Amino acid sequence: MPVTITGLSHHSSPVELRERFAFTEAQIIEALNQIREKGIAKEAMILSTCNRVEIYAIPKEPNKAFTQELSQFLCDFHDINENPGDALYSFNDSNSIDHLFRVSCGIDSMVLGETEILGQLKQSYKLALEQKATGPILNKIFQKAFNVAKLIRTKTQIQRGSISVSSVAVELAESIFDSLESQQVLVIGAGDTSEKAARALKSRGASSILVSNRSHEKAMSLAEELHGRAINFDTWEQEFKTIDIIISSTSAQHYVLKRDKLQTMLKQRGNSPLLIIDIAVPRDIDPDCNQVENVYVYNIDDLQTIASQYLNQRKADISNCEKLIIKKRDEILKDLKSYHQKPALILNKQQTTS
Amino acid sequence: MLPERLWFLSAVVIYGLGLLYSIFIWRRGFQYNNWTSYVLLSIAFILHTIALTNRGFSLKQCPVNNLYEATTFILWTISLSSLICGLWTRLRYIGVFTAPLLFCVGVFAMMPGLDPEYGDEPNFINGWASLHASLIMLGYGAFGLSAITGSMFLTQDRNLKLHRASAIFSMLPSIQRLEKLITSSLIFGLVLLTVGLGIGAIFLDLPEGMSFWNDSKVVWSLLVWGFYLSLLIAHLKLDQRGRRYAWLSIIVFGFVIFTFWGTNLLSTIHNP
Repeated sequence: MPVTITGLSHHSSPVELRERFAFTEAQIIEALNQIREKGIAKEAMILSTCNRVEIYAIPKEPNKAFTQELSQFLCDFHDINENPGDALYSFNDSNSIDHLFRVSCGIDSMVLGETEILGQLKQSYKLALEQKATGPILNKIFQKAFNVAKLIRTKTQIQRGSISVSSVAVELAESIFDSLESQQVLVIGAGDTSEKAARALKSRGASSILVSNRSHEKAMSLAEELHGRAINFDTWEQEFKTIDIIISSTSAQHYVLKRDKLQTMLKQRGNSPLLIIDIAVPRDIDPDCNQVENVYVYNIDDLQTIASQYLNQRKADISNCEKLIIKKRDEILKDLKSYHQKPALILNKQQTTS
Repeated sequence: MLPERLWFLSAVVIYGLGLLYSIFIWRRGFQYNNWTSYVLLSIAFILHTIALTNRGFSLKQCPVNNLYEATTFILWTISLSSLICGLWTRLRYIGVFTAPLLFCVGVFAMMPGLDPEYGDEPNFINGWASLHASLIMLGYGAFGLSAITGSMFLTQDRNLKLHRASAIFSMLPSIQRLEKLITSSLIFGLVLLTVGLGIGAIFLDLPEGMSFWNDSKVVWSLLVWGFYLSLLIAHLKLDQRGRRYAWLSIIVFGFVIFTFWGTNLLSTIHNP
């Protein structure tokens, strides 16, 4: 049993459920500590993105109930009492390696071949490494996963083109606005995906970018990078009159913008179209805002559903990726097998020499 | 059946094929740079033009003397402006939106009662009256174009609201561009209608004992003029935008199409 994976993703659950299972960075550290303290697993790593929440773990001893224990831990940690049913999935044996490789190279992402997931995976692995939650098996498997992602990027067409949440956001903006050159973008919450979306809009000509974040320093730093302007988080509504596109990705646990408030603010802007990209999980924007005339609200699932349409155009290359994944999976399984046999060999050698 | 009516009938049949293709495209989506609807519209336009010019040459003047001629003239204007707009890649699919309107109104125009045979001494309009009528028909053509771009707006708006991928894969222009197109068509149509009505009021003599204000067509035309003026003021001055604006451009043109025939028949000046 190389690694067991338990979690949920956009394939198995909607954003409403995923947001309940999502981990913040502080929660990941706490969860890894709990896994160690409770003796659930000897190695563990937690990946929590807007697309998926997954625990990668190695059991202390081969244990048939291990998968069930991990699922229970996920539910208990988030105080979820009801049974999530099929939303939670698990992978064991060679399937788990396949799954990790597929995740690392973006094949399992809603936006096929997207590269953001690799960065998120590396960051999550680094965090687990810093917490000393990983061990020789996970280290080996993850290093291999990063290599496979690189190999697939260079050997196949799967990551070519502009398939990402940010590029979908740009295309949406171009379906609404005549030209992006005269549009003003407001970024609320300086997250990684929102930064990418803002950069993509900027590269297509968006005239100016305002950044608002709870940490004003972070806002200023991002604004500087984007040649934009940082505004105070509590006063972003004052700038609303001039805003055409909002990208929101705060870590707030409640809606940052509700329909009533939006309708009041819209009166200032002469009913001109407004595109709101809500990439936060939990969501920042009340979904009812989409019912307001001239307002177009897209959450992370909407963007990813659109992006998945590109899937058909890329399907031809999936089979090539799968072949590479199977080849590399067999290699790592062989490596792990020899790794597990090593202590026995060493022991045999010692016995022979003595 | 007059030869030019045969030409027009052929054009209507092609518009009908365009309508069938429209249904197919609506189901498939506006995803590829496809010339089919544009080519169908072009063929129909050529046949339509032959029908119109034949009638014009046979009468030796602009063919806007009866309801058949007026209707075909309006449709020809819509067809021509759609072809011009369709030269722009993002508006290539305009034929898909135009064909249903051209086919339905074209079938209506083919009704024999709308095109009575001229007697030995036909009472043709000429000079200022001809200019008055043709400018107004061109104006209605521009209003028709605004309704067509309005329906394109609603299609794109609906796709965006429902988060359909077709909103970004489609070859339709952005909704902001479509809104601008609606406004341009409305302004163009209103200017033509205003000049046409002005020519009628200033240069045309009324038959003795008649008043403009007692004529249903004059009152109706002023009503239409008022509707379009109000729509433009609401848009340009009162920020009436988006879906409601697109719907109003379609509804007002629908009113024009559905009442044009009736008010013409009731008019004593325009239907002597």
